[in-house]
Amino acid sequence: MSDLPVAQPMLAVREVNRSFGSGATAVHALRDVSFEVATGTMVALVGRSGSGKTTLLNVVGGLERPDSGTVMVDGTEVTALDEDGLSRLRRETVAYIFQTFGLIPVLSAAENVGVPLRMSRTPTLERERRVALLLDLVGLADHAEQRPGELSGGQQQRVAIARALAASPRLLVADEPTGQLDAETGLSVMALLRGVVESEGVTALVSTHDPVMMALADRVVRISDGQVTP
Amino acid sequence: MLRLLARRASVQFPLLVAVVAVVAVGTTLLGVCALLLTRSADQALTEGMARATAPEVAVTAYLADVPAAKADSVAGDTRALLTRTLAPFQATSATRASSAVRLLGDRTGAARPDEPRKLAYLSGIDGLQSRARLTAGRWPRSTGAAPIEAVVLQPTARVLDLAVGSRVRLGTEITSRTDAVTVVIVGIFQPLPNSGWDRDPLAATGYDPAYLDGSPNPAIAYGPFVVDLSDLFASGSTIDRLQVTTQPQLARPTGPELDAVAATLGTANAQLRKLLGDRAKFSRVASDLPVTFALARAQQAVTRSTVLVVVLIGTVLTAAALGLAGRLVVALRATETALLSELGASRGQLAAATASEAIILSAIAAVLAVPLSSLTHAALTHLPALADAGLATSPSVTGAQLMAVGVGAVLLAGVLVIPALRRDPEPTTGRSRLGLLTRSGADLLLLALAAIGWWQLRTQPAAQAGTDTVRVLAPVLCLLAGAALAPRLVMLPLRAGDSLARRSRGVVLALAAFEAARRPRAIAAALLLSLAAATGTFGLAFGATWQQSQQDQADARVGTDLALALTVPPTIGQGSVVGTATGGAVSPVTDRGVVIGRYFGTAGAPPRLVAVDTTRAGLLLRGRIPGTSWSQVGAGLAPKTPAGGVPIPVGGDSALTITGTSTGASRLQAVPRLVLEDRSGLRTSCEATAVRLDGRSHPLHLCSPVREAWRVVAISLQVNFDPPGQVGAGESRLTVSVTLPAGPNPGTGTWPSRSVGNDPWRLGNVATAIHSTPTSTVVTTTANVNTDELQPTLPVEVVSTAFAAPSAVPVAVSDRLADEVGAVVGGRLTVTVGGIAVPMVISQRVPTVPSAPGEVAMLADVDALSRALISAGALEPAVDAWWVGQPSTPGAAAATTALGLGEVDTRAGVHQELSRGPLRVGLPAALDLLVPAAVLLLLVGTIMHVTSEVEARALEMARLRGLGLRRRSILGGLLAQHGGVLVLLLSAGAVVGAVASWAVAPLLIRSDLGARPEPGAVLQWPWPAEVGLLAGLLIGGTVAVTLVIAVQLRRADAAHLRVGA
Repeated sequence: MSDLPVAQPMLAVREVNRSFGSGATAVHALRDVSFEVATGTMVALVGRSGSGKTTLLNVVGGLERPDSGTVMVDGTEVTALDEDGLSRLRRETVAYIFQTFGLIPVLSAAENVGVPLRMSRTPTLERERRVALLLDLVGLADHAEQRPGELSGGQQQRVAIARALAASPRLLVADEPTGQLDAETGLSVMALLRGVVESEGVTALVSTHDPVMMALADRVVRISDGQVTP
Repeated sequence: MLRLLARRASVQFPLLVAVVAVVAVGTTLLGVCALLLTRSADQALTEGMARATAPEVAVTAYLADVPAAKADSVAGDTRALLTRTLAPFQATSATRASSAVRLLGDRTGAARPDEPRKLAYLSGIDGLQSRARLTAGRWPRSTGAAPIEAVVLQPTARVLDLAVGSRVRLGTEITSRTDAVTVVIVGIFQPLPNSGWDRDPLAATGYDPAYLDGSPNPAIAYGPFVVDLSDLFASGSTIDRLQVTTQPQLARPTGPELDAVAATLGTANAQLRKLLGDRAKFSRVASDLPVTFALARAQQAVTRSTVLVVVLIGTVLTAAALGLAGRLVVALRATETALLSELGASRGQLAAATASEAIILSAIAAVLAVPLSSLTHAALTHLPALADAGLATSPSVTGAQLMAVGVGAVLLAGVLVIPALRRDPEPTTGRSRLGLLTRSGADLLLLALAAIGWWQLRTQPAAQAGTDTVRVLAPVLCLLAGAALAPRLVMLPLRAGDSLARRSRGVVLALAAFEAARRPRAIAAALLLSLAAATGTFGLAFGATWQQSQQDQADARVGTDLALALTVPPTIGQGSVVGTATGGAVSPVTDRGVVIGRYFGTAGAPPRLVAVDTTRAGLLLRGRIPGTSWSQVGAGLAPKTPAGGVPIPVGGDSALTITGTSTGASRLQAVPRLVLEDRSGLRTSCEATAVRLDGRSHPLHLCSPVREAWRVVAISLQVNFDPPGQVGAGESRLTVSVTLPAGPNPGTGTWPSRSVGNDPWRLGNVATAIHSTPTSTVVTTTANVNTDELQPTLPVEVVSTAFAAPSAVPVAVSDRLADEVGAVVGGRLTVTVGGIAVPMVISQRVPTVPSAPGEVAMLADVDALSRALISAGALEPAVDAWWVGQPSTPGAAAATTALGLGEVDTRAGVHQELSRGPLRVGLPAALDLLVPAAVLLLLVGTIMHVTSEVEARALEMARLRGLGLRRRSILGGLLAQHGGVLVLLLSAGAVVGAVASWAVAPLLIRSDLGARPEPGAVLQWPWPAEVGLLAGLLIGGTVAVTLVIAVQLRRADAAHLRVGA
């Protein structure tokens, strides 16, 4: 027996179930899913299309409520939060990176990165400094005024990563961040993500099919037909 | 392909329903307008013609000198010809005939050789009972044997001392040897007003003491001796005048029928001449029917032109809505289209699929639009304005309506397809779309076209017949050009907002500002919203301007509240009768053509003189007069001092006497004429019989008993030898005193008096003095008469007046008169009124003179004019009408018409006819449709656009939620974005509508005959309606936006992230 406190995981998913529809046509997207992600690690969530990866990420981020089970993020029970609490969680603790980048087309790269900072009403000058820093971090300092339509896929995903980091989240949730990119670009994005996890000290849960990404992850959680498999 | 269309339709059902709704609204509008332009227009023509007065549609044949033996056949043949001419309408005919004059009584017609001849004539009149009122006896019947039964007018009976049962022998005609005729008087009658007695040889006066029949000396004529028409024709009398009037029964006339009749009437004269040959020396067919019909057609054309403006605006608005719908559909299907292309579908196949769908949707809309337009049209025609105009109709389907709906649906289907045919149907960035529009210069081209249209409209000729292309196109171009420019206007504040948002800290409003300023695909929606707002604003302003212009035209045309144009001579006391009938302020009015110097005016349009009691101009005169008022104008025209005069108390006429003396060798007589003024200000003269200046008192009989307080304002004495025909020598001093019973404030002193008429120098030392006693007032005139020069046929005349002769009558001249003759304020004119040259001075210039809109006209004070005329010896009243201001008696117009004094026009009646007459009401009805259609299309367009926009951004919304933005913040941001853009576009549209209204609306308005309205139309702003419209649009648009966003936002959840991450 040790008296040392046990490190609290950044993410703890316990017995989570989520289904869509009802009766004979019901689809069980998640079945008794349980797993933990330690703080500062990068976990790859691996599974085939339709295996429940996106639903699991949505539940982790509080975008969907599970039918049963609990999700704890940084000690907060996400499944117990109300709408405002969930929004606050996503603003301050969890950041998303989407497969299709999720940038707002009418905003420039810098403006897209600044959106989370606007949500926290960061003063303008501070916001601009932080945005410049992050764009520099992802190597897009020279593309700050370009709109998403004027950037390549890899560049757009870099902007998305910068945006995700803008509010200094504790947990990065990335849904197949390289799914829309060619291999070379995907590799550079993965390297960036890995580097960010290490340099910023954030935790990352990344869904992917990509073996390279799996290789870069500290741990791999496999999911199949809504169940975590060994 | 059909399966694809069906499945796709089931998925995109809401948008397709919106598309069908837009096409249905547009085609319904077209269908209703088609019904207004065809069925209602035909009905309006029918109703307008059916409402025409009898004289406006009657056809009359005038014949003269018809031999006795042929009179009956000539009348019958003429009746038959006119009846045939008016086919297919049923017609009734009435014949009026008068014989040539015969000697009355014995062979010479005179009792003594030195007496004038006495003449008489027979008349026969169809429907005599409806044209006259019996005061004694009965109506004549056809006896077929002598003596012939006859009735006579009261004056005839009085002067010939005839009574029922009297027999009168009418000798031979003076121009041919005919058998004498004996009539027996069976009745005495009074003529009814407006019953055609103006065509009687003596105008129903009963006798004429100075009848000119072509002989050197005048005769005394009596008549008519009205007998049965068949007796007249059988009497062996030459028919001097024969008049056959045929009245068509225009219960439900159609345009083609009226066209046919008008064409036939054009040849009626020739046909009648050919038919009658030498049976009548003169024949003529006259009718106002073609003119009445042409005027109705002109009104129809004017209304049609303006309704077409509404049709075109509605069509363009619908096309804009469909253009938006087409873009949204294309955007919605961009992925699907790309997929189909990749699967090998050709552009042709895709276009065919789109066209098929568009045709199906348009067909559904057209099927809906046919009954909808029929029902809407029927409902519209049951609105009070149209129902009162007799245009109420039940729902029906016509060929023109089907054609309009069908063609409209096909055209609108084309609009729906066009966006799908573009090579790059939905560019990914807004900059390229806006840039495309800017680069193409389409909006600038539209602006140029609009400017050309506006210029053409401005420089149009004053009168334009038929449908006017410029007038139809110009407003549409102006609105479209403005709406195309509106997004540019809106971009200015949006860019400013964008700039502010960059520096702000928050996210909701900043995102709203960024989206509003940078979001693509908004041009079509912006065009629709601004065009709809502009159309609504323009529609309301145009409607108000049109209505006000009709009121202004009615005001200017009538000039007062109620005008009675006299068809009978003005008589003293008539004003009181009119006042009692109307309960308003009454003024006698001079309203006639005059000659200014040597200026006779243009053909058929002499300069007009309108003289009215200007001391009550504010009460009497109507019509717009910018910068001043009629009271102020009138104040400068009325004489500064009242006319004065000697009052005659009620019943005082029996106590009037005249006494005269003359010195010298010649005996003289005087014919006194008293000018009486009644309470209305009307001055009429009353001529008494000649009085010997023998020093004795003679009774002086007035023309009618004094029933109210009148005043004698002038006395004329016409001096001649007694008896006439002598030769004088030397000079006579004459003194004539008229003694009147004492009335209130008779006054003393002198009256200005002067010699008038030819050779005024033959009278000298003329003076008139007034003396009053407790019981009487005596007006004594003295003068020296040079009897050497006094000629029996040319007596001298002295006129004494209670007022000084004005040196010049002040007048206010119309702008057109000033322009035509170069008149300036302070300038002098010599105006010939009834043969008298009256000096006038221009005191003011007015845009137009009441009742003479746009004419060369002048306004004067009737008192001042009367003073000038009387002072010049013209004692007969120069009064042609009565004007009534602010009539208070209910049914004043009908009561005045019933007086039988003439034709009555009211400002309200003319306004009613101009704005709500059957041939005019189509325009307000179409405008009543346009504004709601614009509102409806704006709301549908807003819903379509916002639905599509929010749906397209659903994933973005879900991601923003994923980034931590609360749902209500997203809702707020979207509302701010769309609400802000809506406000800006509505404002820009309102500005465009306002500018278009200012530039075009007054120019679109025409008079009922297609000419520029007089006075010119002035733009009206119905502020409550405009504010209500914009507020309604804003509230409706905001509610629609809120509902759409709220519904769409609920769907913007994690499901989008699952399928679209």
